[in-house]
Amino acid sequence: MTRMITYAEAVNEALRAEMRRDHRVILFGENVSSGWRPATKGLKEMFGRERVRDAPITETAFIGAGVGAAIAGLRPVVELMLVDFGLVAMDQILNQMAKTTYMTGAAVNVPMVLRCVYGAAGGAAATHSETLTALYAHMPGVKVAAPSNPYDAKGLLVTAIRDPNPVAYFEHTLLYPTEAEVPEEQYTVPFGVANLVREGVDATVVATGRTVGMAAEAADRLRGDVSVEVLDPRTLVPLDEEAILRSVAKTGRLVVVDEDYERCGFTAEVAAIAAEKGFHSLEAPVARVANPNVPIPFNRRLERHVLPDKEKIARAIKAVMKS
Amino acid sequence: MLMSPGISDERLLDLYRVMVRIRSFENGVKQLMKEGRCGRVSLSAGGEAVAAGVSAHLTSDDQIGSTHRPLGHLVAKGADLKRMMAEITAKSTGTNRGKGGPYHIFDKSVGALGANGVVGGSVPMCAGYALADQLRGDGSVAVSYYGEGASNQGGVQETLNLAACWGLPVVFVCENSSPEVQRMLGHEIDYPQLSIDDVGSRGAAYGMPGSTHVGWDVETVYTAAGEAVKRAREGGGPSLLEFKIYRLDGDMDSGYCPIRLLRERLTGGGVLTEELDAEIWDAEAARVREAIDYAVGSPEPELIDAYTGVYAEET
Repeated sequence: MTRMITYAEAVNEALRAEMRRDHRVILFGENVSSGWRPATKGLKEMFGRERVRDAPITETAFIGAGVGAAIAGLRPVVELMLVDFGLVAMDQILNQMAKTTYMTGAAVNVPMVLRCVYGAAGGAAATHSETLTALYAHMPGVKVAAPSNPYDAKGLLVTAIRDPNPVAYFEHTLLYPTEAEVPEEQYTVPFGVANLVREGVDATVVATGRTVGMAAEAADRLRGDVSVEVLDPRTLVPLDEEAILRSVAKTGRLVVVDEDYERCGFTAEVAAIAAEKGFHSLEAPVARVANPNVPIPFNRRLERHVLPDKEKIARAIKAVMKS
Repeated sequence: MLMSPGISDERLLDLYRVMVRIRSFENGVKQLMKEGRCGRVSLSAGGEAVAAGVSAHLTSDDQIGSTHRPLGHLVAKGADLKRMMAEITAKSTGTNRGKGGPYHIFDKSVGALGANGVVGGSVPMCAGYALADQLRGDGSVAVSYYGEGASNQGGVQETLNLAACWGLPVVFVCENSSPEVQRMLGHEIDYPQLSIDDVGSRGAAYGMPGSTHVGWDVETVYTAAGEAVKRAREGGGPSLLEFKIYRLDGDMDSGYCPIRLLRERLTGGGVLTEELDAEIWDAEAARVREAIDYAVGSPEPELIDAYTGVYAEET
């Protein structure tokens, strides 16, 4: 049975059911026992302070503890209150979490989920607003999931928890209150399978995370003039290249959108894949809508100016249609 | 006769054997380096008493995390000598299939989890091992080895705090190999690495017992580690042990050589005869030769192996 719940409740539900299903699943991070945080609310009361524990504000120590606990046989879900704060713990994330499986010849593995809360939420400035998915996707050994809606939020988190590898799971702050139909029962959304959000024939938009909704709105607004296909890869690693290339082969035009920095970002990766493997399908240069390589400004007018939105996406679609 | 109060002669002989095993293994590695059969490996001569004295209290259900000078810790924990030697020589039969090297040796079967190439890198992970031990509730413990240089790392300080806050069953073992100059070996710069004399004093800053000991005397190490491990096993939480050691060249000349020191004591006490001593060294040398033969005779990884194991397979 499905009913309307929020994205944050979907995260909460996935955690609750997986913790009930598998005693090895534990949760820790800053303030995870707090009643104010919707994604983890009620879990401490349900599972106790041993399995749901608040960590001191020391990302290196508690993320490293997640890596160790995973190697030692647990299934830790570690919450990074904001993805920006992970920058103080890069050794544990990008060296130890990412590489230990490979460096041990797969003698050990790291079944850990790092829940990264991310995104510009309005006037929080550059160290509390970033996306940084590309940073994680760049490092071999990490899987990267970025659900764009409550259904995927639940299904992808279940998959992430059951995956034998470290998964960086990206939850956008502004998606927390969005609602959608979500089944009550536990289900999985597979990694590496893109979601066809809108079907179209003139142009393909590949968007991730919060920008998927913007891309769908842009597509709806252009309906009648341009038939836009919107693809949500759902996971950046592994990436459903085939779905992207299939769509580009059909439309011949590609716009790539995300909230991360443009330079060496996910949008650059998708554009490169299209150039390498779909070049002969392309009828126009690829367009990108992403942060124009500036730290997120505090002033909200400036913040809006550098972030993607549906108008920018619509403009980019029109631009690729003209050339 | 009993050589030492609280430690049986038999136990002392066991400790001696382990220390000889470590020294022999590392001397074997040294020989391989000289012959150009492996790259540069950071050796731990001088620290054998710490590795042996701590690990004597551990079983294969307990975990250790180590450093970029890990061989003593790994040997004492019981890691497979042949597969370690194969890893050091980058062979496909190595503990890590030739993809980690000596600074990243893991042998999960004995809880050696593992060496780490980043100074202080394994310390937060040890909190995770201890967390798993705590939740399992079977009395297992983790030991986190690091050096005086790593003791300054933010992650190490953070982990001391986390372990104390969560009451984790972990013993932090800091091997201070520059007991006088307070400068990390190989980093003899103008300024000291440490602003204090004793790293053990940092335990108090995090609300755990911290103590400083002579690390070339295996009886001292054994006794101090025994108390800390017992405390952790019984749910008493973490402790910090600092052992002062001198890094040696691998010979027995130094007065700080833990093997020489114990040998003199055991010989003087009549526990170790010259014959038995020779027997012990010969037996360990034979094991090392066997390990070297295994490593030398093992194949390199295939090129395709560069692409495997980035991710673990679904199980």
